[in-house]
Amino acid sequence: MPSTVLIVDDHPSFRSSARALLTAEGFEVVGEAEDGESALQAAGRLEPDVVLLDVHLPDMDGFAVARALSRRNGSAPTVVLTSSRDASDFGSLVLESGAVAFVPKAELSGAALQAVLR
Amino acid sequence: MKRIHLAVLVAALALTAGGLYLTFTSDHEENAFFVAAGNLFAAWAFILGGLVAWIRRPENRFGVLMTAVGFAWFVGALSESNSSLPFTIGTTFGGLFLAVFFHALLAFPRGYLETRSVYFAVTTAYAVFTVSPLLFSFFQPTSEDCVGCPPNAFLITESDTAVALVTALTIAVAVPALATTVWVLIRRWRAASKPLRRMLAPVYVTASASIVLLIVASAVSFASESGSEPFWWALTAVWASVPLGFLAGILRTRLARVSVGQLVVDLGSAREPKEVRAALRRALADPSLLLGYWLPEANGYVDVAGLEFDPVAAAAVEGRAATTVEHDGELVAVLVHDAALNDQPEHVHAVCAAASLALARERTVQALRQSEGRYRALLDAIPDLMFRLSPDGRYLAVKGDPRDLVVPPDRLVGSTAEEVLPPSVARLLVEGVRKALATGEIVTGDYELPIDGVPRHWEVRIVEDEGDAVLIVRDITERKRQERELRRSRARIVEAGDVERRRLERNLHDGAQQRLVALSLALRLAEAKLRDDPQEAERLLKTASEELSQALGELRELARGIHPAVLTDRGLRPALEALAERAQLPVDLALTEDRLPAPVEAAAYYLVSEALANVAKYADASSVEISVDRRNGNAVVEVADDGVGGADPATGSGLRGLADRIEALDGRLDVDSAPGRGTRIRAEIPCA
Repeated sequence: MPSTVLIVDDHPSFRSSARALLTAEGFEVVGEAEDGESALQAAGRLEPDVVLLDVHLPDMDGFAVARALSRRNGSAPTVVLTSSRDASDFGSLVLESGAVAFVPKAELSGAALQAVLR
Repeated sequence: MKRIHLAVLVAALALTAGGLYLTFTSDHEENAFFVAAGNLFAAWAFILGGLVAWIRRPENRFGVLMTAVGFAWFVGALSESNSSLPFTIGTTFGGLFLAVFFHALLAFPRGYLETRSVYFAVTTAYAVFTVSPLLFSFFQPTSEDCVGCPPNAFLITESDTAVALVTALTIAVAVPALATTVWVLIRRWRAASKPLRRMLAPVYVTASASIVLLIVASAVSFASESGSEPFWWALTAVWASVPLGFLAGILRTRLARVSVGQLVVDLGSAREPKEVRAALRRALADPSLLLGYWLPEANGYVDVAGLEFDPVAAAAVEGRAATTVEHDGELVAVLVHDAALNDQPEHVHAVCAAASLALARERTVQALRQSEGRYRALLDAIPDLMFRLSPDGRYLAVKGDPRDLVVPPDRLVGSTAEEVLPPSVARLLVEGVRKALATGEIVTGDYELPIDGVPRHWEVRIVEDEGDAVLIVRDITERKRQERELRRSRARIVEAGDVERRRLERNLHDGAQQRLVALSLALRLAEAKLRDDPQEAERLLKTASEELSQALGELRELARGIHPAVLTDRGLRPALEALAERAQLPVDLALTEDRLPAPVEAAAYYLVSEALANVAKYADASSVEISVDRRNGNAVVEVADDGVGGADPATGSGLRGLADRIEALDGRLDVDSAPGRGTRIRAEIPCA
């Protein structure tokens, strides 16, 4: 069953590449956001199954956004963090923030996302 | 009295006898007795005065000159002769004594003519009183008023014209000579020291009176021969007093012996070298006298203050002379005094003899004083404050600049440290004093103590000295400030490094890394589309290629920001030229060809780079001038723009960081950026 995805990243080129990759592998990208604040609003409005969330956002930390999303009552989305850095740069911060997994940007694909969601 | 003096006396007596004979047998002398008495008085006054001077000062020719004046007077006595030739010689050369008198007057008191103008005046006087009357005698017969006088033996022809001519000539020569004489005498008087004036005064008074009377008598005699007679008599009387004036000078030396007696009394009660000097000054009537004590162990002289004294240099000044004082054949002192005192050698010797014992005694005291003076000078040369504290922390003495003290020195002495200092400082010092006194070791410490509200830092060393503590306190405010500034500068350099690394990381992350991620995703997408949608795959590959070019460009910029390769490989000049090319406004470069040490080149590069970035961001300038030059072992880097100015190194972290970088190389950075007048940044960095 296809999942709905919200992509949150401040780089438009990444958003468009990610959208193309995920769409090609059966995901439905329901929206994009370029900063933390608009990500929270879009998540409330679109209620995606998955939020692909960049760690570095211009207005706030991706972990803080993840914490805010996971605290939502009812339909809390599954948060997958991503970054151009390696997971080892963040250690336990990923899981502590309420996110389910971390996928490096360079390794992003529909299969990689499916794998961590399973 | 030597044989020569006796011979002169005999000759004078013989001339007197001759003169008296001529006067009393003269057919044309009406007042033989008065004339004889006057002549004798005038001539012998000089002969006797001259002989006294001659005998007392054989080395001084003044006595001879005085005697010669007396002898010359006798020439005039020949005019009493009844024979034509001696009569004519007497009347013609009777004024010769005046020429000799001028000579003597201008040679007084040294006995010789000192300058060319004086020499001119004396030569003219001889001419006026010999050549001029001789010329008169050729054209002027014996006066008809002279009843019973013999005829003029030298008369060639009677000529009123020739007489008038000779008169005019004589006046023309005599007036400048007389004026020169008066000028010389006035100048000498003004330049004379007190002892010299004392010597000159009687001679000048009598001689001036004589000259005035001579001028008056001569002037009156033109109008009336008989009317001038009283003036000539007055002149004779005043004239005869001139040698008395000189003798008065000689006599003063004798009177001065009284002052030697007083000197002995004064020296007996003198306790200080300055009092000894004052007594000597009084005794020699020379308020400018200097006294030097001979110290054999130092092989030199010291003055009354215990400082080194060079009598040779002191006596080298014009008008000064030195006289050494000996005691029991040993040199004890030197007096540097007015050279005029050399004309009273007996008096000076008497004073020296009287003072020698006292000076020999004072000399040992002075030797001690000199060593104390040396140590005091050494202490005074140390800028530190020094305090002597009793064991209970009470100030006993203080040395140093009162502006560095919390209270004035007179209030400090007698107070305790607790009374005048803040408790923490007082405790530190009192504990230090106790420790130093107990252990005998040097105790050191430092503390902060504001003076007049200004914070100051002090370093103290406490040493034990004869049961008390001596505190040597040094102002280390500046050192502390420099240390503080150094710490701050180091912290800023470290912080600037951290900031720079963070900036690089952010740039890498936001720039090249993002592009490479996008590139990676695009490639993967293209790979997926390659079969189903080759056109889309081609578009994705094209995007990927552009991303790659941009990523490479950004990486190049970043690498250049870390350290430009051109600077390392080819030096500062090409690196700055590259900077100038990339700049967004015209840059005028004036760069040295020399390579500079690598750290200096790097500092210069970042200075220019930062300055150009600032110009682009804030200056609103139309052009920039950059110069790098090597001057006196320093690299001098200047960046000047014509923009709005107003840059402040205190607020801008960029300029502050540059200053730190340059100061770390012992250089200095100056920023001149008055609002509206552009900005000039100048760094001077040592290249050694």
